Amino acid sequence: MTAAELLEDEDGVSAGETVFEASEGNGTIVDSGRRTAALVLNEYRLAVRSRWAAALTAIFALFSLLILTFSGASVGPAGFERIVASLVNLAVYLLPLAALVFGYDAVVGHEDSGWLDVLFALPISRSQVVIGTFIGRGIVLVGATAIGFGVSLPFLVRDFGASVIPTFGFFVFAAIGVALAFFAIAVLVSSVVSEKVYALGGVLLVWVWFTLIHDLLALGFVAAFDLPSGAIVSMIVSNPADVFRVLALSRLEVGGGAGFAAVIAQTDLSMNTLLASLGAWIVLPTALAAVLIRRRRL
Amino acid sequence: MEIKIDDVTKTYGDVTALDDVSFDVERGSTFGLLGTNGAGKTTLIKLLVGLDRPDDGRIRIGETDVATAGRTVRELVGYLPQRIGFPSKLTGREVLRFTARTRRIPKAKWQERVPDVLDTVGLAGAADRNIGGYSGGMRRRLGLATAILNRPPVLILDEPTAGLDPEGVAEYHHVIEEITDRTDSTVLFSSHVLSEVESLCDSVAVLHGGELRASGTVEGLTESVGSGVTVRMRVDDVGTAATIARRHGDVSTSDDSVVVELAEASVSDLIGDINETVDVAGVDVERPGLETIFHDAVEIGDIGEVPA
Repeated sequence: MTAAELLEDEDGVSAGETVFEASEGNGTIVDSGRRTAALVLNEYRLAVRSRWAAALTAIFALFSLLILTFSGASVGPAGFERIVASLVNLAVYLLPLAALVFGYDAVVGHEDSGWLDVLFALPISRSQVVIGTFIGRGIVLVGATAIGFGVSLPFLVRDFGASVIPTFGFFVFAAIGVALAFFAIAVLVSSVVSEKVYALGGVLLVWVWFTLIHDLLALGFVAAFDLPSGAIVSMIVSNPADVFRVLALSRLEVGGGAGFAAVIAQTDLSMNTLLASLGAWIVLPTALAAVLIRRRRL
Repeated sequence: MEIKIDDVTKTYGDVTALDDVSFDVERGSTFGLLGTNGAGKTTLIKLLVGLDRPDDGRIRIGETDVATAGRTVRELVGYLPQRIGFPSKLTGREVLRFTARTRRIPKAKWQERVPDVLDTVGLAGAADRNIGGYSGGMRRRLGLATAILNRPPVLILDEPTAGLDPEGVAEYHHVIEEITDRTDSTVLFSSHVLSEVESLCDSVAVLHGGELRASGTVEGLTESVGSGVTVRMRVDDVGTAATIARRHGDVSTSDDSVVVELAEASVSDLIGDINETVDVAGVDVERPGLETIFHDAVEIGDIGEVPA
């Protein structure tokens, strides 16, 4: 078929008229949803084909099984809780790092390849590009976290019985939450920086801040000053890694961590506050990225 | 669908990328946007497709004001960016399906059109291969396929043949000629290859340093820069030939040639007069073309607007 035949419709009407008429419904929620769904599917497909899904699942499963094998757990509830506490202590470092590295090139990487120019040339909003990217890759991250850590569940049930399922399930749920929170931060960084190398540097600084420095500073403040409960709560909710730690340990009898985690146990943080703050850590960076990407110059 | 650009100015910090630029592109025409690197071509194209907003002035595509239409304008425009890339893990067919979904082409139609478009741009045989294995030319052809997939009334192509080999350029020209000859689509493309623009375009605009230096039909602009021609004659006696030539026009000489600028009607008289006296080894006659227009616009300054 020639280019001219392509650009004429069945009645020989000139190019574009049919499409223009069909575009009258442009802007409806359904229409917007369909376009976002196309972006989600595309991002999901890319993440799976680039082997991120397999790599993340394998890493999480490997560490999960290593903890299970070498935690020295005894039979009984205390043994199970020790395993979960060990998993929390591992996940609080591993999940943020994996999510940040997974997401740092979500937007800026597309600009590097020239794909962002193509996306921005389509009749989709820039915010949709961010949201579609977040959801598409996020599905892969959720799947990898659930499967990677969930692979331990049959062994835990075998050793400790089916009663461990709710507690372990809640741990996986919290793990998914913290992974998405750090992934959202990575998408935000990726949306505002101009080069991939800056994005990588940025997310590594984010990781160092939230998993190392923030905790140490918070502990220092708690040790040095007689802080009110509200201040401690603020310190916790201002760090998604701490929110995850508190959430995941809240169902256990044993304290999973020393230092700041021990202080956390003395606060009156409600489950709803923790869940809401983790949700905010997922939604707010993504929303901010969706707004700030409008200023991006190609 | 016509394009109207009125008094458009765009600055980035202290740099004026476009300075009060105005011109029209007629419906169904092929329009060339000429300029050296940094002239403002890509800036103008980004404003045309709504990827940026002018600081001042207005751009309309048909009745649509680009600045206020948002993404709707990209429903009307098939756009090929200068820098184009695709995820290496997708196939050409998948990219077109994705494009069709985002352009809200009904499934029944895109199932029919995607193979046709792939065939048109010569990618039917590579449609199911990962784009990672595509050459630069194949990627640009895929870019053109995404631009024409929804039959847009306006096609805007930013340096579409940059980086293509001669065969790829010829194929690209063929597709553009097909579109412009047989449809009512308006095609605007930027280039700094003068021969490409001269062979494909009805009208041109020349940008330089963000200023519009010339716009109008190629013929109109050619006439505006003068009706004279340049005759270069290789002769055995340069001095005598120069003396005769001065009776017909402005003369300059080199070791074996006389170069005369004169009215086209006087060319045969000039050649006849010189041929009577000295031996002429060869004659070249140069008429002003796009190269002259471009040179005058860039080097001399504003050569004005010639109505279509």
